Order: sequence, then structure tokens, then C-alpha cells
Amino acid sequence: MSRFADIDIDPAIIGRAARGDARAHEIIYRAFAAPVYSVCLRFTRVPAHAEDLTQDTFMEVMRSIGSFRGDAPLGSWVRRIAVTKALMFLRSAWQRRGQSLDDDWEDLTPGDVSNHGVSAAPEHALDLDAALASLPDVSRAVVWLHDVEGFTHREIAGLMGRTESFSKSQLSRAYRRLRPMLERGVREAAADDAMTRSLPDPC
Amino acid sequence: MSKDDHETDERMNSGLGLAERELLQRLLHGLPDSPPPRAVWERISTQAEAEGLWLRRGAAARRWPLAAAGLAAAVLLAVIWLPSQLPQGPAAGGGPFPTEPAWTAAGNGTGVGALRVRSAMLERDLRALPAAPRVMRAGTAATIGELEDRIAAIDHALSVPEGSLTESEIESYWRERVRLMDSLVQLRYAQARRNSL
Repeated sequence: MSRFADIDIDPAIIGRAARGDARAHEIIYRAFAAPVYSVCLRFTRVPAHAEDLTQDTFMEVMRSIGSFRGDAPLGSWVRRIAVTKALMFLRSAWQRRGQSLDDDWEDLTPGDVSNHGVSAAPEHALDLDAALASLPDVSRAVVWLHDVEGFTHREIAGLMGRTESFSKSQLSRAYRRLRPMLERGVREAAADDAMTRSLPDPC
Repeated sequence: MSKDDHETDERMNSGLGLAERELLQRLLHGLPDSPPPRAVWERISTQAEAEGLWLRRGAAARRWPLAAAGLAAAVLLAVIWLPSQLPQGPAAGGGPFPTEPAWTAAGNGTGVGALRVRSAMLERDLRALPAAPRVMRAGTAATIGELEDRIAAIDHALSVPEGSLTESEIESYWRERVRLMDSLVQLRYAQARRNSL
């Protein structure tokens, strides 16, 4: 479950924010700043970009909160704005390079950090941050949207302006890249479990 | 295709076994959130003010002219007419904020006059506390904002022309105002103590 869903904001606060109450906006910011910034940082991996995207997200929240009808939790609404901003950033970054999103994996060069934000595969088992950093930006975003935020492939495709097949393909390739780390993790967990069971009962 | 079939299909396509998928889910959900630097809020508030997205304080004040007048009248009444009735609270000058909020020393008298006195004392206690910190917990900020709103609403209700409310209604409003002010002072007092540690 996404952290956005765990945050509950009093409808009275939302109403005050819609009327332009600065204090109410600050309350909303304090509540959602960390998950918004974290999503932006996961997508871009550059703190300065994540800060800019966080600012853009909350400016959009302030401008549009009057249109928020409360049909869904505020967190879902804020999350969608943040994700859209972050994906727009990724798309514009690709466009600036004159490449399409499909080039992402083809250009993958192990160890080449400067190329699409891709680094070498992680050496340490269960170092998920390093493992995620080893993925191309768009694939990492798909993993996050699908496995953490709970978006469907159809929704991800809509957000990215691509097809469902594109989303599934990105996820599948990301999983394949993460698989060695995960297999090591599972093996180590099983070995730890076996060792624990073989220890004599202290009582 | 059922949901289970769909999940099985997706798992097979992903090339990850069930244990790997579960581990990945656990690791992903265990990644901590990072708060943005403080400067981000400052940038946002500067931009919001520049774009005119927030109510200006003056505009907010104009929305509550009667409330402000009512509050001022109540405080003036308490200060001019009833100074001798004010019990002495703990000294406010002994530290960065009172060591104990004065409401604990206040009497529990009833009647509009006594309620106004208590309300004035609580206002004084609130003013004696240090300014609210720039960064506060979302829950605390929400509660403080809610209390202030409700107090402002009561002040607005009490500011209607004389004769519009019955004595009983006036007393009920003042009792509720004291109760809300009491909560607000306690909350701000706890916040000040926490920040001073």
C-alpha cells in the first residue's frame, strides 16, 4: 500500500485550503512532502530535480485544490499530480536527448552512470536502492508505480502515453535485472532460517 | 481471466518466483521516505504569495471585522472592568515561556463575567508563549488550525448586535470559547515545552 493512502487530511483543512488559507496549505504540505519528494527522487535520482518537482507538485495542488471534489482520498489526488509531474520530467529529459523511451534498454551500458541514469548492477545482495539505480529511469518508474503505488498496466500506460505492452515489457525487463539480487536474497533468507532451526533451544 | 490467473500469468512473464516477488514487495515497501529540504517550503510559499494564491492577512482580517471587534471588546471589558478579579498566574518572565500555564491556577467560576475573565487570562497565556515553530507536526498544526477556526467562529457569533442573543446563548458561547482556548493554550504550551528541550 502506498504511503499516500495512509495520510488522512480533515475535510475542513481541505476546505480552508480551497479558500486560500496559507496555514491549511502548509498542513497539507507537511503531510505529503515526504512521500511526494520520495517519489520524485525515486524517479529522477537527482535531489535538485526532486526538489523542483516537489515544488511544482504543491504549486499545482494549491492552484487546483478548489476543483478537488473529495470523491477519492486527497492522497490519491496528490500522488497522481506528483507522478504526472515526475513522468513529464522524464519524458522531457528523453525528448531533450532526441531519443524515444524505447531506446532505454538498448543503450544500456553496464557501469555507465551518465547514460540515462543507469549504473552497474549492484554487488551487494538486497541493496535495493543500488538495484533500482541500475535500472533505466522509465523502468524504475514502472516498477515503483506498479509494485508500490498499485497502478495497473493500463493506468501506467495512460500516464506515460504508451501502450499496456510497453508497461508490461518494462516491468518484465526490470524484474529480470533484479532477479539475481532477489534470488540471492531468498537463498540467504532460507539459509538463515535453516541455521536458526538447527540451533539448540536455549530453554 | 480471473484475478488469480492474471497474477499467475504476470508472475510467469516476469520471470520471478513467488518468493522473489514477495521479497521484492517487502523491500520496496520498506524503503524509507525522505523529507525534502526545508528550503522547498520557503520556495513554495514565496511563489504562492507571488501568484496571489493565498489570502492576504489583511483580506482575511476584512472577512472577520465583526469577530475582531467582538474579541477586542471582550478583552477590553475584561481588562478595564475586572482587573482586580484576576488571580495571579505563574510568572511569565522567568524563562522562555511560563513554566506552567496559568489556566491551572484559574478558578472555575461560572457566569458570563467569570467566563470572560478566564478567556482573557487564556489569551494572555497564549501571548506569553513563544511564537509557533515554523515546522510542526501535521497533526498538531491541523488541530491548532481547527481550534483557531472554531474560536473565530464563536467570536463572530458573539459579535452580533446586542439583543440578538439570549443570555443563555451568550453564556454557552463564552463557555465553549473558554473550553477551546483552554485546549489551544495546552496544545501550544506542550509544543513550546517540546521545542525548548
